[in-house]
Amino acid sequence: MTNPQDAPTPSSAQRPADQLASADAAGRTVADVPAAQTGAEQPEDAVASAGAAPQYPVVEAASAEAAAEQPDGRSADGPSATAPSLSPTSASTRAASSSTAVGVGTAPTAVAEKSGGVVATLFRFQSVFGLLAVFVAAIIFSPRRDGEILFVSADNLANVVRAVSEIGIIAVGMTFVILLGGIDLSVGAVLGLAAVGSAVLMVESGWGFLPSVVVVLAIGLVFGALQGMATAMIGIQSFIVTLAGLQIARGLARIWSDGQGVAIAYGNGPHEAPDSFAILGERTFGGLVPIPVLIFAVVAIAAVVFLRVSAFSRHLYAVGGNEKAARLSGVPVIRVKIAVFAICGLLASLAGIVHAVQLNQGSPNDGIGYELDAIAAVVIGGTSLAGGRGSVAGTVAGALLLGVLNNILALNNIDSNIQLLIKGLVIVAAAALQRLRPAS
Amino acid sequence: MRNLKAPLAAAAVAALVLAGCGTTNDRTSDKPQAGASKQCKGADGKYVIGMSQANVAEPYRQRMDDDIKAAAKDVPQFDVKFADAAQDNAKQVADVENYLTQQIDLLIISPNEAKPLTAVVKKAYDKGIPVLVLDRKVEGDAYTGFIGGDNVEIGTEAGKYVAEKLLPQGGNVVELKGLAGATPQAERHQGFVDAIKANPKIKIVADASGDWLREKGQAQMDALLKANPKIDLVYAHNDPMAEGAYLAAKAVHREKEMKFIGIDALPIPSGGIKAVEEGRLSATFTYPTNGKEAIAAAKKILVDCGSIEKTQTLKTRLIDKDNAASIYAEENPTG
Repeated sequence: MTNPQDAPTPSSAQRPADQLASADAAGRTVADVPAAQTGAEQPEDAVASAGAAPQYPVVEAASAEAAAEQPDGRSADGPSATAPSLSPTSASTRAASSSTAVGVGTAPTAVAEKSGGVVATLFRFQSVFGLLAVFVAAIIFSPRRDGEILFVSADNLANVVRAVSEIGIIAVGMTFVILLGGIDLSVGAVLGLAAVGSAVLMVESGWGFLPSVVVVLAIGLVFGALQGMATAMIGIQSFIVTLAGLQIARGLARIWSDGQGVAIAYGNGPHEAPDSFAILGERTFGGLVPIPVLIFAVVAIAAVVFLRVSAFSRHLYAVGGNEKAARLSGVPVIRVKIAVFAICGLLASLAGIVHAVQLNQGSPNDGIGYELDAIAAVVIGGTSLAGGRGSVAGTVAGALLLGVLNNILALNNIDSNIQLLIKGLVIVAAAALQRLRPAS
Repeated sequence: MRNLKAPLAAAAVAALVLAGCGTTNDRTSDKPQAGASKQCKGADGKYVIGMSQANVAEPYRQRMDDDIKAAAKDVPQFDVKFADAAQDNAKQVADVENYLTQQIDLLIISPNEAKPLTAVVKKAYDKGIPVLVLDRKVEGDAYTGFIGGDNVEIGTEAGKYVAEKLLPQGGNVVELKGLAGATPQAERHQGFVDAIKANPKIKIVADASGDWLREKGQAQMDALLKANPKIDLVYAHNDPMAEGAYLAAKAVHREKEMKFIGIDALPIPSGGIKAVEEGRLSATFTYPTNGKEAIAAAKKILVDCGSIEKTQTLKTRLIDKDNAASIYAEENPTG
């Protein structure tokens, strides 16, 4: 599971989970084993991020505290090795004491232990397995024509990922917010505002491609940042702030567009958008891969990498796991929150640009209800609405799962009312699986 | 190491997807275009028709689907599939794409909006699939036929009826408009305003947007009643808003002071025809769902191997106390 070179050292940089996980490989005593399991059950992103940059011991308090919320075992030497490095806050003390107590109290057998690890791994990738299961089911239930399985035809798979790309881009931003323990209900409206903005700036104001896109992205970024400020600095719950943000963005979009959808025509004349913009909606690689899909892929990969290598991501998971502990440990909570909402707003406006170019129109009614689809993708992806636990990779799998599901239901012409029931049940099933997850 | 699992899994999925693309691409690209070759096979053929609806949450559009379903029952060669875009242009594009994957023989579409659906309708049309566009148009001429009502004409008929029959002595009119930005809203307004000019004693004293919704119409009317002591007639851009306005007036016991007219006249229990029959509305004007006509056109193209008019505009019909009951029965022959 872990390499021997991860063996515990009393270094202040070492995080408890890593030490415990490595204890497994080192063949420690039975008392240490549950701790190893603990390490395995932790969300991989949280663990990865906590260990990524050892030069920031302050965050460990929050990580330890977040982990301590889970009723799992932890060996005595893990926290104690770390404790001296922590500032003597109540958070770190609580983390150490509670986990020590539990660690001593539980000592399952090695066999149960091992199967537990497998189960934990299965659960950790539930959204990926879910996606594979739905994918296989889609192949089985796909209508066929002349022996060809329609679902896996190149055109159809391109359609599936294209249809998912906008929700996917939004859902990546939504994952950040939900990891923080917040929610962003404004993303659909921000998408509409950005779609209108792209259309108005290029078609009516005659702006070029680059300035329009930059300004629209900046609008989303600033809008998100303002929402982040309202929730972080004034302390209004993000649900309320972004509910208001939804109304405000929708209102701005209606005002900016005069209540009308603004059609986008391409060319060099007045009231025409530059051809360079149209490219964003086209297909590449032999007409197979829609550009919106590439944009989604780049966003997703960038987010995954960002969450793995940056110090910011440890702050994010720390705040989401336990905001108070994070603050006490010196995490710049306010800045983290503002940044996360700004990222979410930025990605929503990027999705708005993609939306406008695909539909050749920016309408103030664009993106209604998209926030709910994005939240569904995040939840199916295994990210906890309580914050602090989850991953972008899971969200991408969740979004693709929804896309495949939508597609196969449509290909089989399932009644649209029944489709709603099925999609609802899938979301409940995904959430139920999370409850069963051994670590929680 | 475990940090690498998620990206590896994601990569595996991506590889799987891409592999799927690669292997099937060769097969599909070699195929002849499906639609063109099997358009009209006469009465012996079997035809799959895809109906892409903008939003069945609107009773008018649900009725359109129902009319299509009912009319298709009489054509044994037809198998009609239905998809609902829930008022989302992007979803409707995907719905049409899915129909193309299924290689349907004819597409019927009631577009949510013109511009965003134009490209995908053209894609279907260019594949040789006949396309019937209902109610709302798409841009350009890459479709086989358009069947729809004329909202300007409906507004005009309503205006004439008000000017000549309901308020010959003139009076104060309140207008409850549909969703701002929607084309039918603008057209129903324009036709009405032009027609009531014939009677200069009629004044539109206030207007408000009820977004096509009964509850919104009611709320707007609550405010308009407070602001306007004398209202003689309420012109609502659809029946649900007219009904909402009626409820608002009734709540303050003023429903007898004024008349209410709407548009759409859906022949359903909650529709405008019943409201006229039961005396809440003075009149309503039919806005045809085009469902029957669409199946007739499809039959002409696929079974009879004939051609159809590029544009077929259906006339509106006045529904008042005198003909409401009979027209309701006529539109619902089975019940």
